[in-house]
This record gives sequence, C-alpha cells and structure tokens, in this order.
Amino acid sequence: MRFYKTIGVYSKLAIIKGTKKEMVLSVSELSKHLGVEQQTIERWIRQGKLPVSQMGAAYRFRASDLKKWASKHNLSLNLETQSLPEKKTDPLISLSKAVQNGGLYFDIPGDDVESVLKACLGMISSVPDEFKADLLDRLIEREQALSTGIGNGIAIPHPRVPLGYLKEPLVAVCFLENHVEYQAMDQQPVGALFLILCPDLKFHLHLLSALSFCLRDKTFTQFLKSRPEPKALIEKIELLQTANTF
Amino acid sequence: MQTIKNTYKAIYYKLFRVDDRLLLIVAGSIAGICSGLAAVALRLSLESVMELIHPLRHYWWAFALPAAGALCSSFYLEKISREGAGHGVPEVIYAVSRYGGLLRLRSSYSRLISSFLTIASGGSAGPEAPVVMSGSSIGSNIAKLLRLNDRQRITLVGCGTAGAIAAIFNAPMAGLVFSIEVLLGEWKFVNIIPIAIAAVAGAQVSQAIIPEQVLFNHQPFNTMAVDIIPSLCLAVLTALISVLFTKSLRKIAGIAKKSALPFWGRAVVGGCVVGAIGSFMPLVLGEGYHFIQSMISGSFSMGIFLTFVAIFAKIFATAMTLGWGGSGGIFAPCLLLGALTGVAFHKTLLFLIPSVNCASEGAYALLGMTGLISGVMQAPLTGIFLIVEITGGYETILPLILVSSISSTMSHYIEPASFYLKDLIERGQFMRPGTDARILSDLSLNELIETDYTKVSEDMVFREFIDIIKQSEQNFFPVVDETQNYKGVILLSAIRKYALEPGMYDMVFLNQIMDTNVLTASLEDDLQDVLDSMELNNMDRIPVVENDRFVGMIAKTRVLDLYRRELIMHTNIQ
Repeated sequence: MRFYKTIGVYSKLAIIKGTKKEMVLSVSELSKHLGVEQQTIERWIRQGKLPVSQMGAAYRFRASDLKKWASKHNLSLNLETQSLPEKKTDPLISLSKAVQNGGLYFDIPGDDVESVLKACLGMISSVPDEFKADLLDRLIEREQALSTGIGNGIAIPHPRVPLGYLKEPLVAVCFLENHVEYQAMDQQPVGALFLILCPDLKFHLHLLSALSFCLRDKTFTQFLKSRPEPKALIEKIELLQTANTF
Repeated sequence: MQTIKNTYKAIYYKLFRVDDRLLLIVAGSIAGICSGLAAVALRLSLESVMELIHPLRHYWWAFALPAAGALCSSFYLEKISREGAGHGVPEVIYAVSRYGGLLRLRSSYSRLISSFLTIASGGSAGPEAPVVMSGSSIGSNIAKLLRLNDRQRITLVGCGTAGAIAAIFNAPMAGLVFSIEVLLGEWKFVNIIPIAIAAVAGAQVSQAIIPEQVLFNHQPFNTMAVDIIPSLCLAVLTALISVLFTKSLRKIAGIAKKSALPFWGRAVVGGCVVGAIGSFMPLVLGEGYHFIQSMISGSFSMGIFLTFVAIFAKIFATAMTLGWGGSGGIFAPCLLLGALTGVAFHKTLLFLIPSVNCASEGAYALLGMTGLISGVMQAPLTGIFLIVEITGGYETILPLILVSSISSTMSHYIEPASFYLKDLIERGQFMRPGTDARILSDLSLNELIETDYTKVSEDMVFREFIDIIKQSEQNFFPVVDETQNYKGVILLSAIRKYALEPGMYDMVFLNQIMDTNVLTASLEDDLQDVLDSMELNNMDRIPVVENDRFVGMIAKTRVLDLYRRELIMHTNIQ
C-alpha cells in the first residue's frame, strides 16, 4: 500500500486544471536554502518537522507549504533566489588594467607637492571637473598626514576615502618635469607619481599591494627611470604580475 | 472512471495528508480499539485462569505456583520473544523520546503473555504496564503501516497507551492523562485530541465486552471539612510508603542482578519467596483487586498491626516478583498498597481518637490509592483521575486532589526521579522533547561537520604555507603525511609571530610548527561527549579524525546554529 503515490496524482490534477505549476524543491535544494546538511533535512522529514510530499521515491517540497511552515516557525526563508546569496567574488582589477585606465603623463610642471598634484589632476580626464578641487584637497590632506613618498623617487598619492563618482579604479602614472621635495622616507626628491584613485576600498588595497610589489622590484624602478612608453610599461607590469600571486 | 478515481485520491490527499489531524484521529481510534481489545483479553483471561487456579492454593506445594509462573514467563521472554523482563514503561518512554516511538511488533503481545503467566500463577504484579507496552506497540505499528513520521507515530503510541489504560480500568480520562503525563511528557494540542478519542474508544470496547460499569463498586462516601487534616497526614504517609516502595523495588532488583544465578534460577527463587509469603498472607498474590474491593466497601477484616505487616509484605512480594524475573506492572500493587495504607491510617486514627467524626474506611482507602499512584509515578493528575474513574465517584475529589498533590510533591522532594524515569536518568536516556539532551542526541556529528578544509603536507616549507595562507580564509589547517594520514593541526593564531618573520620562511617545515596534541573526535562520538570535552579543554573547534584520516571540523558556532534551529522547530509545530 503506497499511500503517498496519490500525491503525485494530485499534483498532476492541479496542472490539468490549469492552475499555475508550483515551485517544487528537492532535498538538496532545500538543504542549500536552509544552510544545513542533507542528512539534517532527511532527519527532519523522518521526525515530521517539515511539510514534505513524496513523488515516486523522492522527497519534494512545495514552495507554498514551505512558506507556511516558515512563517509558523518564525524562520526566514527566501526561496526566490535560487541559492543562498553567494559571496560576490568580483574579479579584482589588475594593476596593468588600472594603469591603462589611468594613463601615462610626462613632464608634469610644478615645484612643490601642491602644484604638482594640481597639475596631475588637470591631466586626468576620468575625474569629472567639478570634483577635481575636492579631490585635490583630499590628496593634500593625505600628504600632510603622512607622506606617500615611498623612496627611490617615487610617490603614490591617494585619497583616504573611496571616490564614488569614478566608474573604474585607475592608476595614473605621472612623470614630473622636475624632481620635487616630497618628504619621502629616504628624503630623496620625487620624480614619478602613481596616483591611485578608486571607487571602492577593496580595489584600493588590492592596487596598493600590487603596486608596492612591483616597486620593490629593482629592475622595475630602473626601468621607470627610463620614462617608458605606455605600452612597454604595461607589458612590464603584466610580466611582474604573473610572478606575483596577486 | 479515471476521473472518479482521481477525485477520490485528491479528496483523500486533501483530508489526510495536507493536514494530518483527521488521519491521526482515525488511526488513533483504531489504535485505541486494538489496544482496548488486548487489554480486555488479558483481563478476561486472568480472571478465568485465576478462578481455575484458586482451588489449588490449598495444597502444600501451592507456594511453588508463582515460581512456576515466573519461570515460564522468564523463559518465554528470554528464549522466545527475546525481550527484557520488567514492566516495559521506561522502554516505551525511551522509544518515544529517542526513536520517535519505534517499537517492535512482538512487544504488542510478548508482555501480555509473560505477565499473564506471572500474575495468573500468583506473582505480585499488575496487568496494566504490560497492556501499556502492548498498546503503545500497537499504535507504533499502525503508524509504521501507514508510513507516518516520528511525530505522528508518537501520537499514535500515546493513543495505544491511552486506549489500553482506558480499557483495563474502564477509565478514559485516566488513559488520556497517563498517556500524556507519563509517557509523552508534553501537553500539545495535536496530541490531546487523538489520544482522547483513542481513550474513549478503548473504554467503549471494554464496556461492550465486560458490561460492568466501574472497577470498584462502593456506597457513596461523605467527606467533610473534618477530613482535610487527616488526609494531609495520610498524604505524607503515602509519600513515604511510595518512596519506600520505589527504593525497595530497585534495591531488590539490584540484588538479583548481582546474584550469580541464571535467569531461570532467579525466577524460581523469586517465585518461591512470593509463594511462601502468599501462603501466610494470600493478599499479596496476584493483582489483588478482590482485596481492594473489600477495603473500599469496608468489609476488610485485618487488624491494625496485620495491615501494616501486609503493606511491607506486599512491597517485598512485588519487588521479588518484578526484580527476580517475573513480568508485570506496578499499577495494581500501587493500588493495593495505597488501599492498605489508607485503611491502616484510618484504623490508627480511630484507635488514637475514637470520637473522631471522619469519613469511612473505604474513603481513606481511595485517598491512599491516589497518594501511592501519584507518589510512585509522580504523576498527580493520573492519580486523581484514575481513582475518580475506577470508583465512579466525585464526592471525594477535594481530599483526592490534596493527597495527590502533596504525595507527589513530597516523594519528588525525597526522590527527584519517579519510578519510571529513574532507570532512564541513570542511563542518560531521559530525553523529554525540547530538552538539551534530546536536541544533542538528535544532532549527529555528520550533520555538523565542516569538511571543506585545505590540507597541508607535513613536509611543506613554511614559505609555501605562507602562500597558501594568503589565498585562504581558513584559520585552521590539518596537516597530513604523504599517505594522507592525519598528523596534527596548525592554528593561525598559534603561528602568527612566525608568519610575520620572513627570515623563518625557509627555515622550518610544517611538522616543526604543527600542534600534535590537539584533541580529536571521531564521527561515531556522541555530540554530548564531544561538547563536554571541548568545554573541558577550552576549544572552539575540534578536528574529526576517522581511521587516521582527517574528515573535517566541528565548530561551536555551527553547533549553536543548528541547536537554535532545532529549538525553533520544536517550539511551534502546528
């Protein structure tokens, strides 16, 4: 005597009558929704804690039954999204791509930090004009707090807050006309700026770490002193990136 | 034709499967009727056989009769049905709390037969616990036939029990209350209706076959306000007697277990002792309903001293019967003991204060029965309703409630576990629904284990490990050797100071920094034990190692997560 067989017939009837076909879940789907093991679901079925229907040999759950059950137990159950909100693993932008976004600029005029940064910002077209003054303030504020000159004539100026108006993270490489006194770690004047501008903090950390990896490489710093073409620079960065785990 | 069939099936599904209440009521009443039939069968066969045996009591060898009965009974249980002796109620409670009421089909008749043999031959025991076992097993097997789930099966076990008790005492309310108060342990709306209907069904079956209306007939009692104070004293006395009864039952059973005799030897010794007592004092033999009747109707003729002696003789005889291999329940002995206590108390009262204007001896016998049932089972409601129903009178209800509540409270104070639960608690098997032990026993390590861990080799250089850490979110790395056998673990918090020291990266291998003394669990372990040892060692997570292989981790956070779900699921089912 298989009493449960009738359920299958009943659900077929519902379809014949033209009612909308309901969403039906399997044990493994429900276990993902609830975040428990399949064994737990099977035990709950055995103990009569879940509203289950049996179709053939397999257990099935109707969405409407489950919703009723969840509301009875004050459980939150979101069946619409097919699975639990997956951890978003946005592909982090690579440094070479960010440099492509930002571009290379040569012979930036200026004698001190402020004028140099102002000139740099003038070059970068991705930043809308109405935000440039604000961004400059933020960059200078950051420099006053602690110089971003990391030695070897290189500085990586960046604002401390993410810039929501940017579409994509960018790293602008600016070679200065004259070396500028930057209060860098090794007290040397700075000749190249890597300006990091990001819409989100997670890009910022990622780019900063990728950049500092490149700048630790002696051949890379030597290579920079030759003021390379954009294409050559990007190739060099890509080469270094493959060596890095980032 | 097909449409009719489909419509029928659709209606069937709507009525029985979407909402199981109707199904439970129908199946429950069937369980009630079946267990009622079983109870009536036992009662009738006991009555007729005892009549047959009665003339034999005058022979000198009559003392050996209980021994023969106990011998047959224990042989039957040990060799044919292979079930333990005793009364079976703790087993039912355990099956309900641990296995969703799963009971064997053979339990539905094995205890009936064994207790029939024990009681008919004169063993001091009652037929009620065996019918409880039988009724609950009938309910459980009906549920199995219908492929019901655990929750529904437990309800049907309750139905079978209620039907059996209702039928054997012709007391539907007592059946309902006993089933819920003692067996299931939780008053839930979904349970009460089917069980009540099953109890009524059982009582109806019993009335249809045995037309007498109440178990014990009596003249109406007149209890007055004067009786309140004596009944309070009686309550204290019954509490003491019930504790004494419970303790001696366990003590004497313990002695039997320690003795070197084989099971049949024990049955013979126990039976002979009971038979010997019975030849001086026939009151202790069998269920003793006849004597209860005489005490209630006031025609009991023993003196004060002899009545007190009878109390102890009955306690001893019951303990010898149940502890030494016989089979049967303690309901009937409780009733007889209670009646004796009540009568003895009344006689003493009249002896001390001859002018006292209290109710009759029979009324005190009733009060004593309530006190003993409530005290031994620690189930006050069962005591009240059972006595009210088997005597068919509500006149004594006020003192009944008083005696019942005081007796159960006092005996609970002296002995916190009732007779039925004591063994279960000692074995750690007492798991009422919604308790911590119950939830922990439901959860198995398999459900809690987190298995997606990156394993590292013990021959790995620390620098490689640092690279793995960079890309991983794990805080805990199992270390294995080349054959994948578990060697130890690395906790990030423990190696932090080395991880920040690049100079060490090429200096050490992982087997030099791993922790090999971490406690591990295996999949078969009880969650309770695992949690206890984690508590003891102050661990948040414990690695699970099976046959030298690392399987996964049990984290306290995950346990809490599932524990909470189980509690939520429990608190609000329908």
